[in-house]
Amino acid sequence: MKKENKNKKQVSVSILKKRWRKFKTIKRGYYSFLIIIFLYLISFILPLFIGRSALIVKYNDKLYFPIFTYHAASDFSQNIPGEANYRLLKKQFKDENGGNWVLLPLYPYGPNENLLDETESNPPHSPSLQHILGTDTSCRDVFARLAYGFNVSISFALSVTFFAFLIGVIIGALQGFFGGIVDIVLHRLIEIWATLPILYVIIIVSSLLVPNFFLLCLIMTLFSWVGITFYIRGEFYREKSKDYVSAAVAMGAPNRKLIFSHILPNSLTPIISFAPFAIVGNIASLVSLDFLGFGLPPPTPSWGQLIQQGMTNIEYWWLVAFPLTVQFLTLIAIVFIGEAVREAFDPKVYSRLR
Amino acid sequence: MTSYFIRRFLLIIPTFIGITLITFLILQVVPGGPLEMELMKLRGGGQGGEVNSSIGNSGNINIPESALKEMKEFYGFDKPILIRYFDWLSNLVRFNFGKSYTYAEPVWDIIVSRFNVSIYFGLISFILTYLICVPLGVLKAVKNGSKFDFFSSFMVFLGYSTPGWAFGALMLILFGGGSFWNVFPLSGFRSEDFDSMNFFQQIFDQLHHTILPVIAYVIGNFATLTILTKNSVIENLSQDYVKTAFAKGLSEKRVIFYHALRNSLIPIVTGIGGFLGLIMAGSMLIEKVFNIQGMGLLAFNSIINRDYPVTMGILVITSFLMLIGNIFSDMIYAWADPRIRFK
Repeated sequence: MKKENKNKKQVSVSILKKRWRKFKTIKRGYYSFLIIIFLYLISFILPLFIGRSALIVKYNDKLYFPIFTYHAASDFSQNIPGEANYRLLKKQFKDENGGNWVLLPLYPYGPNENLLDETESNPPHSPSLQHILGTDTSCRDVFARLAYGFNVSISFALSVTFFAFLIGVIIGALQGFFGGIVDIVLHRLIEIWATLPILYVIIIVSSLLVPNFFLLCLIMTLFSWVGITFYIRGEFYREKSKDYVSAAVAMGAPNRKLIFSHILPNSLTPIISFAPFAIVGNIASLVSLDFLGFGLPPPTPSWGQLIQQGMTNIEYWWLVAFPLTVQFLTLIAIVFIGEAVREAFDPKVYSRLR
Repeated sequence: MTSYFIRRFLLIIPTFIGITLITFLILQVVPGGPLEMELMKLRGGGQGGEVNSSIGNSGNINIPESALKEMKEFYGFDKPILIRYFDWLSNLVRFNFGKSYTYAEPVWDIIVSRFNVSIYFGLISFILTYLICVPLGVLKAVKNGSKFDFFSSFMVFLGYSTPGWAFGALMLILFGGGSFWNVFPLSGFRSEDFDSMNFFQQIFDQLHHTILPVIAYVIGNFATLTILTKNSVIENLSQDYVKTAFAKGLSEKRVIFYHALRNSLIPIVTGIGGFLGLIMAGSMLIEKVFNIQGMGLLAFNSIINRDYPVTMGILVITSFLMLIGNIFSDMIYAWADPRIRFK
């Protein structure tokens, strides 16, 4: 009985499942996918591994969890203003040897933490054992900033891609489904949008508004939804004339149902196969905007902002080389994913004679 | 077909008006423009955070009404926005781009003086990109799956995942005389003492300043064009007419380079039309990295300084070139591929 069930399942594998299986066979893309997903999930609990707050402090027979709650320095009778410095505290407890201890994250520096008090020379510092990728001009740890910047970059790119595709798909669907005057009017508007020098306009807007994360997402979304409309429009035109749509029309399906539950699921190929490359583009745009100084406001940890600092003085090579390396590795992983997705969704088998 | 292209040319006008209107509205409606900047300066800079919305009510500002009015007049903010736009447009039609706020010179003169620098880099890198990518793409297609294909794919992936300016920044760090080698000059279009050099020194100096930016430009478009070429050739190699050519006993070389290549190059040739726009698009970041005084850097600085006449002037020229370039692409397409008929 069970075996039969299994057989049945195999017979009726959906096309999506087939493509997923095909995707899994393309090792380079599949492993990149796993790595990026893993790192992105980790980046949400990053303070556990990289951060200034101690995980656990044992002080006078009481346990504290500074990672969840704020503790002033005076709570541990530390003689500095503001929040406790757990690295100094750890040293102090060790010297005292009085049964108190501090459990620090693996890499005990925060992304926005000014380390001026704990370093000797003037910032920025080149890589050392203490700060493996050096510090930036405001004496913040580069490695911590890069690590936190990963979450910012990916989250930014994911949300811009999602909303841009949402708008693009809706408009493309309207064009392709209704055709005629709707198509013509929208097409004229789209042509204006497509000819706008996008980066230039985004820079103009964000130079005037000084955006935060959500505002910058909004600005980027408003100017980057155009690309996908052409493909969706084409897909809708093609699908609309097929028999299953005629059948649905004959059965009295309303337009809403025709668009969303009949045609759209069959037009997903361009959406899925363009998404990784859109994400790559959006990450690169964010880095470019940050580099020009029109991106996320300080002190958001961002890759482009580090590069901007590095370009002010040619000697600060680590402020340019490391962010670019991280950007390169991230983008190449996503390009691998995109390549594999495209191959799984849009297989083109070329037969060549010789 | 002629009527099609005439229609396309006429359609430039509404699109152009749309583009400039959108940008004009953004510049004029969003707070933080030149008037606010000026007011902030007058108030002693420092605490200028709350200026944005408080222009009209001079309650706690000690700027005389008349001075405010004068400033508004200077920047043209005393008229309704649509009137301002039509004023600007009618000036533009008479080829009057206005005067720059920062340089106090006609915008057109400033742009023209920067244009040749951008064109110089744009043209060289454009030609180089085609000279490198097209043969590479063809070779990759012919040797698809070979070791050469595999290793050159690595370069393609590198190009995909590194923006041109980023690669330029990396090269500057390596070769610009910082912590590593001092091979290339840090910035600029030419050395400062260029005029006092003899002819050969001038050529050397120019090349010296050209190499790194051009590499950055080429990297920017390298991956897309190579892959486009490769895919196009591969697709053609699996067509029936190639099989026929093989079947009638032609040599492999003749089939590939005479029959298949000519058809494969059609989509690549059409890209040429877009290069005018591309030169502008990629240039802002690369000119910023290499501190080249071209159109891109001019645009960047005009935004920072709220020099709206220059900002709009560059937008006009860039989008106009892009619109013309698109039509030009389609013309080449129709010329290169007689099967294409535009209606």
